[in-house]
Amino acid sequence: MRLMRRDVLLTTGMSALAVLGGGPAVFAQGATPSPSVPAVDPDLMRFMDISHCLTDRTALNAAIGAALYAGIVQATPQRRGQIQALYDLKARERLITASELAKAAEKADKTLKDAVHDIMIAWYRGVAGGKVVVYRSALMFDITKDAIYPKTYAAGGPFYWTTKPPEVARPTGLPALSPSPFVVEPT
Amino acid sequence: MPSDQNLSADVVIVGSGVAGSSIANELARAGISVIVLEAGPRVDRQHFVENFRNLENKPSYQGPFPSTPWAPHPPNQRSPNKYLHTSGPDAEAYQQAYLRVMGGTTWHWAGCAWRYLPSDFELKTRYGQGRDWALKYDDLEPFYYQAEVMMGVCGPDPGVEDLGSPRKQPYPMEALPLSYAGQEFRKLIAEKTPWRIVHEPQARNTRPYDGRPTCEGHNNCMPICPIGAMYNGSYSVYHAEAAGATFIPNAVVYKIERDAANKKVVAVHYYDPDKGSHRVSGKYFVIAAHCIETAKLMLLSADEQSPNGVANSSGHVGRNMMDHTGVQVTFISGDKALWPGRGPLETNVIDNFRDGDWRNERGAYLVHMVDDNQVDFATQLAIAKGFVGRELEEQIRYLASHTVRLFSHNEALPDPENRLTLSTTEKDALGIPHPQVYYKLPQYTVRSCDHTRSVFRQLIHLMHGTDEEWTPGYFPQDHPAGSTIMGVDPKDSVVDGHCRTHDHENLFIASSSVFSTVGTGNITLTVAAIALRVADTLKKELLHG
Repeated sequence: MRLMRRDVLLTTGMSALAVLGGGPAVFAQGATPSPSVPAVDPDLMRFMDISHCLTDRTALNAAIGAALYAGIVQATPQRRGQIQALYDLKARERLITASELAKAAEKADKTLKDAVHDIMIAWYRGVAGGKVVVYRSALMFDITKDAIYPKTYAAGGPFYWTTKPPEVARPTGLPALSPSPFVVEPT
Repeated sequence: MPSDQNLSADVVIVGSGVAGSSIANELARAGISVIVLEAGPRVDRQHFVENFRNLENKPSYQGPFPSTPWAPHPPNQRSPNKYLHTSGPDAEAYQQAYLRVMGGTTWHWAGCAWRYLPSDFELKTRYGQGRDWALKYDDLEPFYYQAEVMMGVCGPDPGVEDLGSPRKQPYPMEALPLSYAGQEFRKLIAEKTPWRIVHEPQARNTRPYDGRPTCEGHNNCMPICPIGAMYNGSYSVYHAEAAGATFIPNAVVYKIERDAANKKVVAVHYYDPDKGSHRVSGKYFVIAAHCIETAKLMLLSADEQSPNGVANSSGHVGRNMMDHTGVQVTFISGDKALWPGRGPLETNVIDNFRDGDWRNERGAYLVHMVDDNQVDFATQLAIAKGFVGRELEEQIRYLASHTVRLFSHNEALPDPENRLTLSTTEKDALGIPHPQVYYKLPQYTVRSCDHTRSVFRQLIHLMHGTDEEWTPGYFPQDHPAGSTIMGVDPKDSVVDGHCRTHDHENLFIASSSVFSTVGTGNITLTVAAIALRVADTLKKELLHG
């Protein structure tokens, strides 16, 4: 299945993508929008399941998830198998938290770390396969929305920036994965 | 469009950026016929905004502005580059970014609208370094104000905060209120250092002005203000067109034609995207095509009359390339949350290093604490550190609220060896050579950057900073200048104090290319001021003989 961002945008308004009973299952969407109920895509269901786990979130937008998954596997086809492996690992070892799954994944197979990174980048930055899938709906803006706006989407009115933003305590949590080189792209 | 053979105007201008469009506006309003030739296309703001939103590498200022095959510009600041080819020991420090598009490079500026200091025009006399301009600050003061009114510049009350450039009029608009991050930084500097933070004068609306809205703090001045609260050259294009000026997009000027005596320019020739050639005649000509492209065009116009290029009897066309070289560091503050990125990008400046007796040995500079939204940076950094899930979200909030970025503009000096020439191997789709620049940082600038690093280290210490990331080497601030340098002596300069070329009496240059020194403040207001002074000269000569 090759799901284009355009197709997702076209079909979300037709409820062709839906979440079943609050769980992570997602209906698949073909390249051509159809009003009929589509079949469940097991690959996408597995992606959503480990996405919930790796974000420690129970609710993620299914339409965005479908587009992110399509972008990830289109850019890197081996991610399909790696996502299956993450799903199997989570089920086999009954892993609950993001930290547990990420640690176990890197321990089991170092290449799974890249898949975890792709999933984090996809949900938090809205980027899959090096392309922007969503911008203001990326989770990084959801978790900072009490303080700041995504660029080009400020809605506080003139001079909102003079007010005091929220204080943020120093975090105590530890990284789950080994560190990776951080390369700032040149301008 | 008029037929090819009938293109003619009193004044023909090459380039539609701030300089070209503001001259066109002034002349058209005075009833003078004007044709402006712009190499790039006409594109609307919303198109650029959508390009930005779809850009993965958000800090890429060139990213939302793809160039055309017939008018390429640097796609990025990477070296080697696909268009601007740099070489020499500090090649990467001259990897400038600019745009070839209707309205010019101010589509992606930060709106910083500094006047130069009086000393910037007299560096040789006062400090024995570089050159003096062939004009004084007082010659430019009325045009600085005219430019501030044209752009809509907000700035501090000079009675409260004197920025060092004497003013006869207050700023057209009140200063922009500092963000919380700016306020806290200002307090720190005032309490813990001998320096000060000033409000940066900006071409940004603090009230509705010139049909444009008040700034709403989208934090995206660069690469694109989404609502037009910040001035850019496109507004002068619109005003000039309303006054009767003709703008022709996709018109790539490739030759400047002179009379038999080689004293006057009689026409310029341009290619359309299909390489059809067109001739445009006029009484006066202004080259206002950005520092790089202006020098390129002068060199490209070399022929039997002027084998080294037009207006180049001095041999200084393409020489004396300057910039504001930058030092940059990003770190994580250990103090309370600042949340930079709420409001416009650049609002506050440490201005203590803009002038002093030490300028006889090292260059001046100014320091920005960049008020840049750090959420995306924080996210990438936290993921690279290995965080996932809830711990990742805590890290993102902490890093986004505590990341601080400092950068500087450090003064260069005019050195004839720092030189722009035409590539002998690389050409664009029309067969026009790409520009290439040899660059070696003056030691004057290197010493200035060393001083900046020591100041930055003190600031990091004061803010209990960690995780310092210094941008390697020296980086260009995209303020190129000097390629058709101004001077009183035709033997070592290209234009006189009125920006008229020494060699051709009806050919003017309106660009940072005429700068004799580069000072510290962003160059655009000075470009606009000298352009408006050129317009004033042309009006006097055309209307009053």
